[in-house]
This record gives sequence, C-alpha cells and structure tokens, in this order.
Amino acid sequence: MSRIIYETDDGGVAVIVPAPEYLLTNTIEQLAAKDVPAGATYEIVEDDVVPSDRTFRGAWTWV
Amino acid sequence: MASIINADTSNGLKLTSDTTGQLDFQSAGSTKATIDTAGNLKFDSGYGSVATGYGCRAWVNFDGTGTIRDSGNVSSITDNGTGDYTVNFAIAMPDVNYAANASTANTNRLMLITTNSYVVGSVKVQINYVNFAGGNTPALDSSCSVAVFR
Repeated sequence: MSRIIYETDDGGVAVIVPAPEYLLTNTIEQLAAKDVPAGATYEIVEDDVVPSDRTFRGAWTWV
Repeated sequence: MASIINADTSNGLKLTSDTTGQLDFQSAGSTKATIDTAGNLKFDSGYGSVATGYGCRAWVNFDGTGTIRDSGNVSSITDNGTGDYTVNFAIAMPDVNYAANASTANTNRLMLITTNSYVVGSVKVQINYVNFAGGNTPALDSSCSVAVFR
C-alpha cells in the first residue's frame, strides 16, 4: 500500500498511512488533497520506501 | 404523542401514527427505542430507561510502525514522529467539542497518552514513556487505539 510523505515545519518527515477502508471509495490522490497540510509539498511513495527501522525516527529527513 | 410501532405479544404488529414526527418502537406496549424529532436515537439496551445513545463517530486501531489494523470513519493516520500521531477523520466532526480517548497496548512500561490539537478534521495522539526520574520519553512503536465520541 502507498504512503504519502511530506516535510514538517521543523524539518522532519511526516508519513500518512491510508486507512484501507477509505481507499475503497477514494484514491490516494484524493486522500493527499484532504490530509496533507495546506501548502506542504508531498510525495506518494510505496510503503517499502519508508524505513522499517524506526530507532532514529525523529532524525528522518526528506532528501 | 408519537407514531408507534408496537410488537404486541397477543396480536402481533400494531401501528399507531400521528403527526408529531417522533417514532417510538414498542414491545408489549412499552417503549424500547425512540427516534425523536431532532433525530436523536434513544434506546434502553440495559441502561434502565430509554435515553439518547451517543455514538462513536470515529475509531482506529493501529500499530506504531505504520499499519492500520482496522478503523471506522478514519481516512488515515499521520506518523508525525516517535510516539506522535494524527488521526484524520473521513467525515469531519461537527465541532471541536468531541471526546477523544486513546489507549496503548504496551504492557511493559507505565505510559502517558494525551490527545490534543482537536480540530474538526483530526485529533493528535502522543504516547510517552513515563520516567519517574523526570520528564517523559516519546514511545517507540506502541500500538494504539483511539475512539471519538460526539
């Protein structure tokens, strides 16, 4: 399943995890339009792009 | 008084109607549930009287690593960072005066869970380990359940 990532105001990375139920009737683009904060640049990625090792989750940056 | 649908124990279904707009569901002449003119659904279900039931308007059960196990009226969760999540509603709340409750399944540590940043479209949940020496530490990968009532 895809994820939506965007850079937070403090320079970190937020990851939006879609609810499977919501994607039954909506597209991930529609979800991004609704749940990404206004003005934020985002990217839709596959979930394996998001690191599974979350030990240093607070240090993630978007490059 | 009300339009009544009554399951009479002797004669079966009885219907009585008027123009008040309220609908009563009865069994043997006793009201068990009501939909009033404001749209409030009232029922007993062991409560002891027929009273308005307040629904859970959104709920979600997710692990802390990016998997939503199941949900209702939730479009997504935003992983903001360690122990920091936003629950986004599929259909927004009518105002910000709802009640949001959250819990975690972590049984190994004393946890502090707070809900904050109430807006009509989302609510934030933060999960921390309690440190008795002072301060709290954001909890890594703790499962979480959130229910919103309004």
